Amino acid sequence: MLLKTADFMNYDHLIVGGGIAGMESALTLGDMGYKVLLIEKEASIGGKMVLLSKVFPTLDCSSCISTPKMAATSHHPNVTIATNSEVEEIGRNGDGTFRVRYRRNCTFVDNAACTGCGECEIACTVSIPDEFNFDLVARRAAHIPFPQAVPKKAKIDLRGASPCSAACPAGVKAHGFVSLVRSGKYEEAFHLHMEDAPLPGSLARACYAPCEDACTRGDLEGTVSIRHIKRFMTDRYYGAHPEPEYGPPEERLDKKVAVVGSGPAGLTAAYHLARKGYPVTIFEAAPEAGGMLRYAIPPFRLPKDVVDRDIKNVTALGVEIRANARVESVQSLKEAGFDSVFLAVGSGEAWTMGFEGEDLEGIVDCMGFLRRAYSGRIGDLSGKTVVVVGGGNSAIDPARVSLRLGAAKVVIMYRRSRSEMPAHDWEVQAALEEGVHLQILQNPKRFLGKNGRLTQLEYLSMKLGEPDASGRRRPVPVEGSEALMDADLVVLATGLRPATFPFAGAIEIRRDETVNADAETLQTSIPSVFAGGDAVSGPSSIVEAIGQGKRAAFYIDRYLRGEPLDGTTFDERLPVMNKEAVIGRGPVSKREPIRVKEIAAGDRVKSFAEVEGCLSENDARASANRCLDCAGCSECHQCIRACPANAIHFDMRSEERTAEVKSVILSTGFRLFDPHEKPQYGYGRYPNVINAMQMDRLLSPTRPFNHTLRPSDGKQPNNIAYVLCTGSRDCSAGNPLCSRVCCMYSIKQAQLIMGALPLADVTIYYIDIRAFGKGYDEFYEQARGMGVAFVKGKVARIEEADNNDLKLFYEDIEGGGGTQEVEHDLVVLSVGLMPNKDVLKLFDNGDLAADPYAWVKEMDENLYPALTSIDGVFVAGTSSAARDIPDSILHAGAAAAQAAAHVERRRA
Amino acid sequence: MEDRRIGVFICYCGGNISDYVEVEKVRAAVENEPGVVLAKTQMFACSDAAQDEMISDIKEKGLDGIVVASCSPKLHLYTFRAMSLRAGLNPFRYTQSNIREQCSWAHRDGGPFATEKAIRIVRAGIARARLSEPLATMRIETTPKVLVLGAGVAGLMASLTLADIGLPVFLVEKEPEVGGWTCKWGGMFPQGNGSDLVEGLLKKVKQREDITLFTRAEIIERTGSVGDFTAKIRVADGSVVSLEVGAIIVATGFDTYRPAEGEFGYGREGVWTLPEVKEWLAGNEGPLAVDGRPVESVAYIYCVGSRQPKDSELERPNLYCSRYCCSSALHTALQIHERNPEVHQFHLYRDMRSYGKYELLYEEASRKGSMFFRFENDAPPEILAESRRHIVRAKGQLEGDEVLDIPADLVVLVTGMVPRQNDALINVLKLPVGTDGFFNEIHPKLRPVETVMDGVFIVGASQGPKTLAESVASSLAGVSKSAALLKKGYVDLDPYIAMVNAERCVWCGKCLEACPYGAIEKSVLEGKEIASVIPSLCKGGGACVPVCPEDAIELKGYTSEEITAAIDALIEQVAAPVP
Repeated sequence: MLLKTADFMNYDHLIVGGGIAGMESALTLGDMGYKVLLIEKEASIGGKMVLLSKVFPTLDCSSCISTPKMAATSHHPNVTIATNSEVEEIGRNGDGTFRVRYRRNCTFVDNAACTGCGECEIACTVSIPDEFNFDLVARRAAHIPFPQAVPKKAKIDLRGASPCSAACPAGVKAHGFVSLVRSGKYEEAFHLHMEDAPLPGSLARACYAPCEDACTRGDLEGTVSIRHIKRFMTDRYYGAHPEPEYGPPEERLDKKVAVVGSGPAGLTAAYHLARKGYPVTIFEAAPEAGGMLRYAIPPFRLPKDVVDRDIKNVTALGVEIRANARVESVQSLKEAGFDSVFLAVGSGEAWTMGFEGEDLEGIVDCMGFLRRAYSGRIGDLSGKTVVVVGGGNSAIDPARVSLRLGAAKVVIMYRRSRSEMPAHDWEVQAALEEGVHLQILQNPKRFLGKNGRLTQLEYLSMKLGEPDASGRRRPVPVEGSEALMDADLVVLATGLRPATFPFAGAIEIRRDETVNADAETLQTSIPSVFAGGDAVSGPSSIVEAIGQGKRAAFYIDRYLRGEPLDGTTFDERLPVMNKEAVIGRGPVSKREPIRVKEIAAGDRVKSFAEVEGCLSENDARASANRCLDCAGCSECHQCIRACPANAIHFDMRSEERTAEVKSVILSTGFRLFDPHEKPQYGYGRYPNVINAMQMDRLLSPTRPFNHTLRPSDGKQPNNIAYVLCTGSRDCSAGNPLCSRVCCMYSIKQAQLIMGALPLADVTIYYIDIRAFGKGYDEFYEQARGMGVAFVKGKVARIEEADNNDLKLFYEDIEGGGGTQEVEHDLVVLSVGLMPNKDVLKLFDNGDLAADPYAWVKEMDENLYPALTSIDGVFVAGTSSAARDIPDSILHAGAAAAQAAAHVERRRA
Repeated sequence: MEDRRIGVFICYCGGNISDYVEVEKVRAAVENEPGVVLAKTQMFACSDAAQDEMISDIKEKGLDGIVVASCSPKLHLYTFRAMSLRAGLNPFRYTQSNIREQCSWAHRDGGPFATEKAIRIVRAGIARARLSEPLATMRIETTPKVLVLGAGVAGLMASLTLADIGLPVFLVEKEPEVGGWTCKWGGMFPQGNGSDLVEGLLKKVKQREDITLFTRAEIIERTGSVGDFTAKIRVADGSVVSLEVGAIIVATGFDTYRPAEGEFGYGREGVWTLPEVKEWLAGNEGPLAVDGRPVESVAYIYCVGSRQPKDSELERPNLYCSRYCCSSALHTALQIHERNPEVHQFHLYRDMRSYGKYELLYEEASRKGSMFFRFENDAPPEILAESRRHIVRAKGQLEGDEVLDIPADLVVLVTGMVPRQNDALINVLKLPVGTDGFFNEIHPKLRPVETVMDGVFIVGASQGPKTLAESVASSLAGVSKSAALLKKGYVDLDPYIAMVNAERCVWCGKCLEACPYGAIEKSVLEGKEIASVIPSLCKGGGACVPVCPEDAIELKGYTSEEITAAIDALIEQVAAPVP
């Protein structure tokens, strides 16, 4: 995440971690009158306690007794809470005080405005395993962590940029519209696209889809068909809405903008400027608008009615398109009263290679050929041989058009090898399927004719030499390899150049005839004139041109409002997600891509009908459902619309902050033992082996289901086993210590199960029952009295039986020894408490001592509990050892007392 | 009361309320209620913007009472009280009506009745608000001094830390010496020597001018209330001193269980309790011998005096686990091993409760040769007399019900902790005692050192069995609570307290019996015996109100009149049936 702003604050005490111990310390110190900064990395304070069902031995509702504490902490005038914040480093100053640097992680929600109403959750289209329910159920990407969260603020779980969205040069939120289609929100998907790019119909057909190249699913069964999904939603929308649903904006600004060229760059710039309220006029030299969309891309790839409908998205805003209006100079536009100009003239002019005989009749450049073909000025090519020279996309289209005009033989002649062809592979493939001949490593030498008309071409074989500036190996003619070929028509697709020559005197033009514009702002040497698209970049792609048009609109708007063009960022993106990390997040179900129907190759060439079909609704949703939601939030922006408080802002970023404090209390809590580390228990493999925290959620008042169910089939379990000491008192799991709470919470859960499932049997397999606290042994005896079975014996392994039931193998200590085998239908692993080692990294010089088991070391446990190896730094609760809640509270009180004493002693 | 100027603010809560309750209809239905001068709806009443709107309404319209109809008061009671304060309205003239948890969320199945119910709830709130009176919190100036009772390690550490924080301490110890059990017990786990620990602490205490230590002293009287106690102490010379303190920390510790004569052979030479063995070990440097006989074999019997069965013949069995004894016995075994590694040691236990890091003691003892045998409570070991040694007979561990006879030169009865017998102290402080006989905290989970007596804290093993480290942690938690109370200089108490109608009261004493906080006392007003309420002790629990046969007690803020008016409003027909 990017970081912004820094501010300095002074506090008496820093408390790291807002669980029960941290809250207790904060409240106590706050009551004493000290200023306290409480930093919590989660979105809510409350730690793990608030997530528990009930607490032993009183069976109080845990959240009911936690929430008043949470509320008191958040309302305390002396306690400042920073949630979603992580301490990065704590350094000691020379005078014994501390300097803390921490990061407020961005939630994309303005907490001052958010009221916690939850409308965003309802609108959100992304489901994510709910960490607060220990992954038993899903939550939304836009979510309030849990119902009792304090502060009760929404958080958008956007962890970076999804690779697809990050890859889009136009900034189209591919993940967003895929997610919307998945949710059946097709019109919303279309509208989301329109926030960035106004030509979805064209893009859905002719975009080279860099999003799909980036797709994480591509590393598995195959990329999500993002372009086909776009096609589905756009076709559906256009079918329902032949005309745009909107008109010109109500607010009309008085600054006028001229756009030269009506290709994708010009249309996009005009669209975004018009949406802001600028009157925009597009000047187009050709008879019809659309540029390359209309005159380059053949109708069997992009039907012209789609282009027309796309253009309506722009003209509906009041944008005027003047066709057949070639602009001869910038000056003329200025004189006509335009305040700013966007030059987007494209690259419709051909480079000539200077072949001998190039001026023979029957030799055309590719743009000329296509323009004439589409306007019917090239008639029937029956029986004719067409040779297209070049290897780019601009060579493929004339070849395929020629076939459709009846040509007997169509050859693409390219001087390098197939792998060097700049054309997209699938386009080459389509051409070959249709019968185009590919002659690689060949190049024309000269054209021969009769009566000024082409009859033959002489060509050379080539071989590849050293790489050139583009990195491709330079083709070198093979001497003496000249050969002749009959040809009726040659299309030279050997490169395009921008038609910038009319402006050459007024603005700076580069040697390759592109406009010299600033790469960020697209401003030219004349401040009021901006340029973009192919006119600046040279021949590129539709989607890149659209990106440029959008960028130009952004900076032209700033220019016209008199704002500086620097000091701002256009389309600031989050760092792209790591695909391996996404795949490594957890099990991914296998889903094969869904293919779209195409007209058979043999039939295609018979007409100019569109080759590629459209996904059905079911297939589109199924395709969208293959999305892995790499970044969490898809940026579908539904939450923004749903939020009645206007609190959601995707341009928010994480902030770095600094504070000075006099003492530090570490209450970072524990980490739950991960039962994957005991593979013999089958956690993660057998659905009905769950951990005790999951069971606590199943039993809690805010439980995910309205019952206590087992995961495999949603049935009520009736024979439940608890495996105590999972990850505790177990050197094989790296933890010889006892976790202190597992016996008791298991007994508590057993009692709760007796209430929730009166017919269920509960068996607790234990080594020693450690019911040592006040009222604990009585609680244990009570459970025995209720009929909970206690079996002394360590469970060695678990296997799955029929119906996802489970077989436990354990050492029978009391019943005469030996191993026993017994079946249960749900197994709860009573996992232990492990140290949260992150706390050891907080200090810059690493002098925070740990005990041999990586818990924070208490230097004199008997007299000065909570005292660490650093003077002025104390530890509270389960950062230094496994503790139950009362002991954590006492320990936190002890830490607070000593922190206060420390500050007072230093003051004296 | 028709001249009241009440404002009603009804919340949409986004859609949380308005999806099920027709909020505008609620507004229309209540805007003409008597006393209501303003009724409006808000998207989010709790938002800053809505609060600002309320503040300007209160000021501009001169409102003298408001009703906020939104969510549970658990959520935003303090939010709107603070808002009222900012607006210059007495915060106790704000009434919360819960139309979310108690209405919209409960009636998501739809139907018009949610709206009707909301109207009734809001009307009830208005009825209460009409009768609301401005109340004031009670502010009590606090005395920044603390009385610590008991100068064991917990009391000593509490005193030193309080003094560090800047709160002078009176430390009162019944015995001639400080240090409690710790200074007798030698080696402590996980580390340290008891007498050294105490000696070091006493030295520090003596250096501090702000700690006054009284030994051979006892508290004999306590008056006053939170923040402002007077304690009378009978000191060593028999005279009585009077101390003004703001808080009292009770660190009077525990007693050890003393087995009955003959219980597991107790009374015979070489059958000792764990504390006796610890004292013996601490007080003798030479080879380990009992009655002149070298100790070659030691047997430990755990849970003596703890975890006694409910159905035992004892009058008051100790049902609880004493928590420290397993680890302490293991630690003792390690000390004996260190003195003489040749000694055989046998542990007869029920559950080895060496919890947490103390597991390492168990592991080390096992490694060093200690043998462990488990017994069930219904088959405890027997101690058989032999001429030279004791025989400890253990059952149920070996196959086929075989018994195991362990010869032992020393039998250690691993005895637990019991509460101190100190009825005088309990009486003076009005401390509640739990079924186990230890002092009872206000909430075992979240408020383990606080008691229902505000300003009196129970720490260390006086609250329940603890290890040394746990006792000290608890005592420092008591320090925190004392400092939190006293550093500010005052305490504010909620005004929702009981008040006695002196004319009606006939002093029957029923309220005194009903009050769990000791907030009722008998007083004499103009020659008439009546009940009176000690404001600083009253918690507004209301237990006294219904038991009064004369209807002579009311709870401020919840008067019978207010509650009756609210009930009347709730059952009143909603005029226009909502379609």
